[in-house]
Amino acid sequence: MDAGLTQPMVQFFHVYKAYPGDPPSLTDINLTIGKGEFVFLTGPSGAGKTTLLKLIMCAEKATKGQILVGGRNIARIRESAVPYLRRNVGVVFQDFKLLPHRTVADNVAFTLDVLGVPRAECRERVMRMLKQVGLDHKASSLPLRLSGGEQQRVVIARALVNDPTILLADEPTGNLDPALTLEIMDLLNDVNVRGATVVVATHDATLLERYGKRTLRLESGRVVADEDGIKAARRMAG
Amino acid sequence: MSAFAKGAYFWRSAAQGVRHAPFVHFIAVVTIAIALFTAGMARGLWQLLDSLIATLGGQVELTVYLDQAAPGWRAEEVAQALGHQSGLDAHVVPPEDALARLKLQLGELGSALDGLPENPLPRTVELTVPAGRRTPEQLRALAEQARALPGVVAVDYGEEAVQRLSAIAMAARAGGLLASLVVAIATIVIVSATLQLAIYSRRAEIEIQKLVGATDRFVKAPFLIEGVLQGLLGALCACAGLWAFAAFGGPRLESLFSFLLGPHGGPRLVTASLVAELFGAGAALGLCGSFVAVGRFLRV
Repeated sequence: MDAGLTQPMVQFFHVYKAYPGDPPSLTDINLTIGKGEFVFLTGPSGAGKTTLLKLIMCAEKATKGQILVGGRNIARIRESAVPYLRRNVGVVFQDFKLLPHRTVADNVAFTLDVLGVPRAECRERVMRMLKQVGLDHKASSLPLRLSGGEQQRVVIARALVNDPTILLADEPTGNLDPALTLEIMDLLNDVNVRGATVVVATHDATLLERYGKRTLRLESGRVVADEDGIKAARRMAG
Repeated sequence: MSAFAKGAYFWRSAAQGVRHAPFVHFIAVVTIAIALFTAGMARGLWQLLDSLIATLGGQVELTVYLDQAAPGWRAEEVAQALGHQSGLDAHVVPPEDALARLKLQLGELGSALDGLPENPLPRTVELTVPAGRRTPEQLRALAEQARALPGVVAVDYGEEAVQRLSAIAMAARAGGLLASLVVAIATIVIVSATLQLAIYSRRAEIEIQKLVGATDRFVKAPFLIEGVLQGLLGALCACAGLWAFAAFGGPRLESLFSFLLGPHGGPRLVTASLVAELFGAGAALGLCGSFVAVGRFLRV
């Protein structure tokens, strides 16, 4: 999908990010991700993929430059407004970040609890979401009793249960075997088909080739290529 | 989105927090209970001193002791003269009445007086002094007038005892306040430390809450409620301890100190107002401790 044809959802203008004492994590990043677009971020470890995702979800502040998310300049956003912005951004992590002592349903409900959704409605939405990710029969299980792929699906359910406009996934398949990787990627693809903007950080070239989506390649904190997944995969293989 | 649902979530989360780290909360509850029990006992002591002062103060009277050999008519003459000079109510207390009164005041120990071969108490004249005339100067002047009358051997007025007791009560109150302040600060520090442990044990949960859009207030509210719950539980334990003390130790102490407390005993230790104050203080201590904990440790 060409970002130029759609309404922009995420825009970076000359964004820099540096941590004290370290070389810059991101340098002069300029990019636009359109509404409803599916974008892969790729590049070697330490290229700045996670930092870029953290900037979008306001977990970090840019050292310089402007970032617009949904038309809102998050470089100038007040600290107290950050939680409200995050409610529109679903996040999926490689290490799941599930609460081991809470059931699958409770983990997914966490997002709705924060919004103050009444208990009955919350239960209904959680079950609907678990059904979508194929885990409604595991609602009462504890996360540690699930497989890696199932745990990642719970995380995706938690990220999507409040219908965010953007879904960020940081190496969502990093800990999974190839079969589970495809299962999770198909799920993320479905989410994108239903209208959400999806940004996935990965260094798995097979995924880029298989899905052929727009791919932003980062190296040493700079965007060095903006191309389709097949080209990116070939470049990585070469 | 409903505020009620959020409130319900906060209470659920606070209850889960207590279940999640019961030992940590137990320590905080016991600390608060000990602090409140001590405060309750101190308050009981103040009330007792206040009641003693009120009893003694209400009974300030000039007692004029007559010669052991003075006849009844002499006592009547002294009473009439004193009443006339001072404008106060003066009445004669015969030795047998004085002995009966002493016996009553001594309570269980009063039976010891039964063995006396004869009544050793002299005839006395008592003048009840109204509150407006209880200044040391006026009491001294009255005593001088009484001493000048024939047959009078001694004059006594309880003002000195009242003043001494008032000074003791004031010192006890000041010391108690200072001790309460120190105990309250120590309690807040301990409650805060226990809640910091509770917060630390739930840091993963807090991190996820923040990632899914929880505000600082949302993250902090359950911990503040946990603090209040600790305070209320501590107050409940303290009230139970005070009640047990009053029920089992109170009668024995009243009997031991009946000569001070009089036939009606001391004031009740556990009253509705004390219970309300302890619950209020417990909630405040818990809340302060949790405020310190979330302020210092929950930098979200």
